[in-house]
Amino acid sequence: MIAYSTRRFAFSAGHHYRVEGWSLERNEGVFGRLTVPHGHNYTLDVTVRGPIDPETGMVIDLGEVKAVVGETIIDRFDHADLNADPAFRSRVPTTENIAIVVWDLLLAKLGDERLWQVRVWEDPTLYVDYRGGAR
Amino acid sequence: MELTRVYHFSAAHRLENPALTAEDNARRYGMCARPHGHNYYLEVTMRGEPDPITGMMIDLGRVDDVVQVAVLDRVDHRSLEDVPQLAGVITTGESLAQAFWGVLAPALPAGALARVTVVETAKNRFEYAGEER
Repeated sequence: MIAYSTRRFAFSAGHHYRVEGWSLERNEGVFGRLTVPHGHNYTLDVTVRGPIDPETGMVIDLGEVKAVVGETIIDRFDHADLNADPAFRSRVPTTENIAIVVWDLLLAKLGDERLWQVRVWEDPTLYVDYRGGAR
Repeated sequence: MELTRVYHFSAAHRLENPALTAEDNARRYGMCARPHGHNYYLEVTMRGEPDPITGMMIDLGRVDDVVQVAVLDRVDHRSLEDVPQLAGVITTGESLAQAFWGVLAPALPAGALARVTVVETAKNRFEYAGEER
């Protein structure tokens, strides 16, 4: 029996949309006001899965998830300028790409046996779900 | 990858099968047969992969425009029974999800729509993902 556990996190970060190598006009044409530096209160839902350990009754110690996500994601991106982070040097920090970056960073720590999905909320009206795979 | 946009509208409705008598409708639908309303949330989920250059899966401004015109303008602050696009629909959450899928799927890029979710109240949530799913 596989069960899924989700822990919610929050971080606030700044960003703007700009493709290196495009003119200002082209960037503004595609991204509009998103080219202006601004920020969001992001919410991150991390879902892990696995069999329930009969000894502990848990899929995973959520304290471990909290520690891993805290060190790997929150410490890095909370109150940070996403555009200045190496992970977004060649990637526009859209919600889609943030989900991919968060997935890749957490996959290295939690493994694909346990990490099931990351959901990144840019605000209460927009979220992206990513479970790895094609991109 | 899936991307979900959350929209909001408020509307009145009542559950009624016009083939039944008022008594039978009251028996079947209980207090839902009386005219009332909800603060609905409509979640539109799209699937795809982000463009390698722009990092965007879909033009959200365009999606917003489509949902606004195809759904929100037609239902917000209206009685759902008076909406021409919902003629013949018993306006349960699941039937609304199916009806909204029907107008959104052809208006969005082919294959982009993954799921339509109607949140009627904080306690009721209805999902529709097309005929084959």
